[in-house]
Parts: sequence; C-alpha cells; structure tokens
Amino acid sequence: MKTVFVHPERCIGCRHCEIACAVEHSESKDLFGALFEEPRPAPRIHVELGVDFMTFPNKCRHCEPAPCMEVCPTGALYRDEETGSVLVNYDKCIACAMCAMVCPFDIISFKKVWHINFLKTVNYKCDHCVDRQRQGKEPACVEACKTGALVFGEVNDIIRSSRRDFTLRTTKALQGEEAPELPEGIAAFREIMKKVARLGPLG
Amino acid sequence: MDVKIIKEIVDMRTVDEAAKEILEKAIAEGVETAWDRLEAQQPQCGFGQLGVCCNRCAMGPCRISPFDDEGPKRGVCGATADTIVARNLLDDLLVGAAAHSDHGREIVEVLLKTAEGKSQGYEILDVEKLKSLAGEYGIATDGRSKEDIAKDLALAMLEEFGTIKNRIQFAETRPPEKTREMWRKAGIVPRSVDREIVEAAHRVHMGVDADYVNILLHALRTSLSDGWGGSMMATEISDVLFGTPKPVEAYVNLGVLKKDMVNIILHGHNPVLSMMIVKAASDPSLIEYARSKGAAGINLAGMCCTGNEILMRQGVPIAGNMLNQELAIATGAVEAMIIDYQCIFPSITFTASCYHTKIISTSEKAKIPGAIHMEFHPETALDTAKEIIKLAIDNFPNRNPERVKIPSKPIKMMAGFSYEVIKQALGGSFKPLIDAIASGKIKGAVGVVGCNNPKVKQDYNHVTLAKELIKRNILVVETGCAAIASGKAGLLLPEAADLAGDGLASVVRSLGIPPVLHMGSCVDCSRILVLLADIAKEMGVAISDLPAAGAAPEWYSQKAISIGAYFVASGVFTVLGLPPKILGSPNVTKLLTEGVEGVVGGKFAVEPDPVKAADLIEAHIEKKRKALGI
Repeated sequence: MKTVFVHPERCIGCRHCEIACAVEHSESKDLFGALFEEPRPAPRIHVELGVDFMTFPNKCRHCEPAPCMEVCPTGALYRDEETGSVLVNYDKCIACAMCAMVCPFDIISFKKVWHINFLKTVNYKCDHCVDRQRQGKEPACVEACKTGALVFGEVNDIIRSSRRDFTLRTTKALQGEEAPELPEGIAAFREIMKKVARLGPLG
Repeated sequence: MDVKIIKEIVDMRTVDEAAKEILEKAIAEGVETAWDRLEAQQPQCGFGQLGVCCNRCAMGPCRISPFDDEGPKRGVCGATADTIVARNLLDDLLVGAAAHSDHGREIVEVLLKTAEGKSQGYEILDVEKLKSLAGEYGIATDGRSKEDIAKDLALAMLEEFGTIKNRIQFAETRPPEKTREMWRKAGIVPRSVDREIVEAAHRVHMGVDADYVNILLHALRTSLSDGWGGSMMATEISDVLFGTPKPVEAYVNLGVLKKDMVNIILHGHNPVLSMMIVKAASDPSLIEYARSKGAAGINLAGMCCTGNEILMRQGVPIAGNMLNQELAIATGAVEAMIIDYQCIFPSITFTASCYHTKIISTSEKAKIPGAIHMEFHPETALDTAKEIIKLAIDNFPNRNPERVKIPSKPIKMMAGFSYEVIKQALGGSFKPLIDAIASGKIKGAVGVVGCNNPKVKQDYNHVTLAKELIKRNILVVETGCAAIASGKAGLLLPEAADLAGDGLASVVRSLGIPPVLHMGSCVDCSRILVLLADIAKEMGVAISDLPAAGAAPEWYSQKAISIGAYFVASGVFTVLGLPPKILGSPNVTKLLTEGVEGVVGGKFAVEPDPVKAADLIEAHIEKKRKALGI
C-alpha cells in the first residue's frame, strides 16, 4: 500500500501541506473560493510545534488493522480496497468520538463538512486524497511539500531509499569525507533555534 | 487558570519583576499579549525564517527548498536562494533606514519651522551645538541670529535627503579617514539619505540586482546613509531643539504609574510632540483641571524610545520597553496612551478596549483603527498637546479602581550620557579613557542596543549580556529597549559598579558614573558611532581597530537590521541574539559573518546565549587589543 511517509528532519513548519489539504477538501477546490465557503474547509494534516521549534506533520496513518474502524459502532469507518485507505462515511458518522479515543496519533477531530447536508459534525480525518490517487496524482499535502518532508510511495521503497542514503553517508564518513545529513544552512538554523527555544518562552 | 501555572508562564516570558505582576493580571483577566500571539503563530514558516520566500511579484510567491535534493532551486524569474535572501535582507534594511531617516527629516523640519517663527512652543535650546553643527556644514555663524543659522542648517540638512552633491556631510568628516578609505574602496560611501533607500527599493525589483554581493554592498551603503545620515541628523537636531542630554536621575518600570494621578503614557519614537506634552503638563490650569476631576495631578510616563527621549532630557519616568506596552494598559491605571510611530502594536487599541484607556494617535502616517486621532503639526503643537492632556483628564473618572494594579517598586536609574557628557566627564578629551583601555583597567567597550522580542525571555538576554560584560571589565553603552532593560535591572546606577570587574569598577567609581551608560533612543546609536569615531581618530586608527563591539541580543525590527549593518559597515563586530532571515543562503551567511570583515573591518555573529555572546565579544576585544599591542 502506498503511504504518505514523513521525514520530520525535513519539515520546516511552512504549513503548505495544511493549506493544500484544506483547499483539496473544499467544495470549490480553489484557494480563493475556499475562503468564502460555509462550512469553511479545514486541513486534515496538522503541523504543530514540538520542542526546539521542531515540527511534525501529523495525519491519519491509515492503519491496518485500524483501531478506529474496530470501535466504530455505526460502521461509518471503512477501508477503500483499491488504495487501502481508511475512509469515513459521513452519513453514518454519529460523532461519538470512539475513533478519536483509540486513534494512536490523536488526529481525529470533528466538524461540519460540505459533503453532507446535515448540521451535524463528523470525523473529517485525512481521506488519503483517494480521488487524486485514482487520477494518478499524489495526495495534495505531498504535492505541496517542497522540502521532501512528505513523500508518497510504497513504504518499503521509501525506506530502501533512506537506507541507501544512510549507507552512503556512513561510508563517506568512514573515508573521512564530509557527509552531513542536513545542508549547512538548515543545520545552523536548527542549532540556533534550539538555543532560542531553550532560553525563551517557547522552550 | 491556576495561579501556579500563571506564575510559571510569566517566569518564562520576562525577567522584569514589575511586568510579571501585571502579566499575571493580564492572563487572569484574559487580556491577549504579544506572547500569546507568538504562541498562536507557531509553527512559523521555515521558508520565511530562512529568507528563501519571495513574495515580491505576481509570478510568485516563490520559495527555494533549502534541501539540495528536493524541491525548486529557483523562483519563477530564476532567482536563486542567494539572490532571494540578499534581496529580502536589503528590503528589510531599507525599511529600517527609511524609518530612522524619515523620523530625522521630521525633526529637521521642526527646526526649520522654528527658525522661521512658524512653530508653536519650540525654541532653539542648545545654541552651542547649533553653532558647532553649522561649522561642520560650512555655515557662517558670526554675528548671525540663532534663527538665521538654524534656518541655513535645516535647509542644508533637508537638502541632503535628496542631494545631487553625492555626499552626506557627517559621513564625510566624522568617521576616521581609515574607515572612510575602506568605504571608498568598497564603493559604499553614502551619496544621500533618500537616494540609497530609493535605489535599494529599485534593486529588489525583479530583473534588477541578482548578484548577492552587489546587493549586500548596497545594503551596507544604505545603512551608512542611516547611521551617519538620517539617524545622526535626528539625534543632533533633537539636541538643538530640546537640549543635549545631561545625566539625570529618574525611575523606571510599570511602578512609575501613580494610583491617584492622571496617567499618560508617551509611546513611540519621535520627541517632537512628546516634548510639547511635557511642557503642557506643567500648565497650572491643566493641573487644576485634573484636580477638579478628582486626581492629585498629571503623571507622565514614557514608553520605548519616545520614553528615552523625554527621560534623558526632562527626567520623565519611563514605564518600560516594547513588550511592556500592553502591560501598561493592563494596569488599568492609564487614562491615555499617546502614540507617534514605530514599534506600536497595531492591536494596542484592542488591548485598550479591555480597559478605560484611550489611545491617541498623532501622526498622519501612523493611524490605528480604534484610536482617537489628534493630528500633530509643529504650527499648533502646544495647543494640540493641551487638548490631548485635557482628553486624558476627562477620562480619569472612567477609571475602575477595582481593576487597578500598579507594581510597587519602581527602580532608580541614570540616563542622559550623551557623547558630549561622556567627553566632559573625562575632562574634555578621550585620552583618559584610552589610557584606561591601554592599561587594561577597561578592556574595551560594547554598544548593547536593540529591541525586545517575545521569542526571547524579555530583558534576560539584555541584562545577562550587560552583566557578563561589565564583570569582564568591558564598559557598556546602551540605547533603546536594551537601555531600558538595564534600567529596570538596576544596572544604570553608579552602585552597579559592585557588579563590575575591579578595573572597570575603579574607573567608573572615580567618575561617579554607572558601568552601563544610557546613551539614548535607537536613533542615538549614532552617538555611539561618533564616540567610536573620535576615539579612533585620537588613536589614529580605524574604528575596526578598536577593542569594541556591538550587540543586539533581543532584536526584532527592520530598524535593528539597519543599525546592525551600519555598525558592521563602520567596522564594528556585532553579535545578534536572534538569527536574521539569511540562513537559507550559506553564501550570504558566510559573507556577512566572515567575508565582509575583509571589506569594512566589521562582521556579524549570531549567538542566542548571552553568556556565550559575551565570550565571543571578549575574544574579539582581546584580539583587537593584541593587534594594537596593548
């Protein structure tokens, strides 16, 4: 199954993924149109601050088996066989929050969505952009990520590639060559911001 | 919220004890402050922080991935990270230079109107300085009235904003020849005040300057037109109009507000209106009017650099620096906050709406929704000042005494150490200071300047750095929010010599001065330049040869970028407590922290930890001492 893999060391907190996600899940699928929609579309991926100004783009991991699916009393959560994604049938969702209670990543929250005509709130978690996937596209968050913090693919392929990078860096280091994991500017930025965080109110 | 949690939050946000009391109150009352807004902004965009976001034209916005193997490497126009970072920095810097210089222009305009007899309430107070400045500008003084001299001087200075002479007087004659020689070689001698700013704005347009070295050289030139131009004019002409500062004792922190009086805060940067408010506040009829409303009198208090200006000339107490502005209102005891411009939170009227405080805007270029606008003009300055005070008095009965909390312990401080005072204290020459430096009693001197920034615990970096430096026998001179921070921490008193190393302590004790000297507002960083220049001239060296440094431990503003750049361009090693938005370009970073030293003698360093910053500064000073053979 293809997944959105996160390289947290590459996330610089720009939140492009959040905007792209909200636009993708709006009725108009347009940034300026989305601003005038009611209910206002919201991102299903969340870039929040951790320690030392580090961030982690958190979203539904589409677990298999999925704890949320197992506890849903109305069968609102189901698996899309084609992409392996865990999806929500908004009509069936009763916003009981059982799914949110068992979610290992705490990424389930509830709001009104344009897809159904009710006043009720529903679990509006990541739908893995199944519509885009069917058109052969990457999820919107991955497309928006310009630093490679979000990558879409078969999980083992992605890990294989990371592993190759690791081997390359390690052997370079053994040969006395410089092999930094992060570019110079980012490394300097992280080091300085770590100090700022530890001395200041956001630490 | 739990009292213990509130205390923990407050301890993380500030070391200003008086501010802590009011910040607790603000949190308990649900009043939003800059610290809350900073939290709400997290995480902040990394492209922006790295300087690789370009939002200049409609082909964009563009951003460059800082990772080599992923994402775009050029904007739509083709600009690289180097070009975008350098252009963004120049853009920030030109805004800062414009802010200082436009402030300077307004001061000089008031001098012109005063000379022409068209202003109300102003006089030419420091005739000696007027004549000495006229001498520098080649304006005849013998047998002429001060008004005639002032008119010629004002016109000569105003002409330099857009001059076609391609020279700014102060930048020609005040720096040491060896420093100017470096400027000439690098092609960065400033040609006029406005021209450098306009050209900077031109260069950041798409398809103009793409060479980061060329862009940064112009940034240095623009900053010099501020430091040795617009800012220096602001300082000198403020002295002519309102008097050159002399040592003065006053009180500082939010505890300077008075429970039984009409409290008026003067906030911003330009002294032209606030000095008239000070004048008007002593009007017996207004004091009587305040009494008629149940108040014991009128209490003025400064804030930020307007506060510094009236503090050092009139001894008006100062309520605090930038992050204190909302807290002053949260005391519930402020009838009016009068604002001119710069560093005033756009949300200040929103804060005021939680209390009875009225915000009164006075500049046509700085209006804030929700403020009462009472526009200031030199022609009617005193009348406007009186009207504003009357409005504040009328608001006194609206104060809710149950919501008032004023911290109990204002701190005593000394301010007003202008260049002239320092020279005079040394007996009219810098030789005694140079001797003290040569003997090692004083190792060197550092200008600690700049703002508050909520990313840093308020005043902690300022105060820790100043303490570390004086402990190491390094004299500290300060301006702006940094100076106010030291005042609140008790460092601006002769008694603070107890915290200094033996050598520095003995020198400042013999002169009866504090080891940390308050030299004024942020435009008064120009006083530091003149001080450095004259010491260098007396020693026959460049400014970059001196055992001196600069620091901006809590900077936030574009003005601070301009100040930092003119310090560096003048030859001063300058340590920033927060990184400028340049780390997305290793080339720009390397040039500003290494390469530029070979061009102008100064360079930048970034070090958020104030103790480590002191280590860097001490090492630099030792290096310079060694090179001088002392």
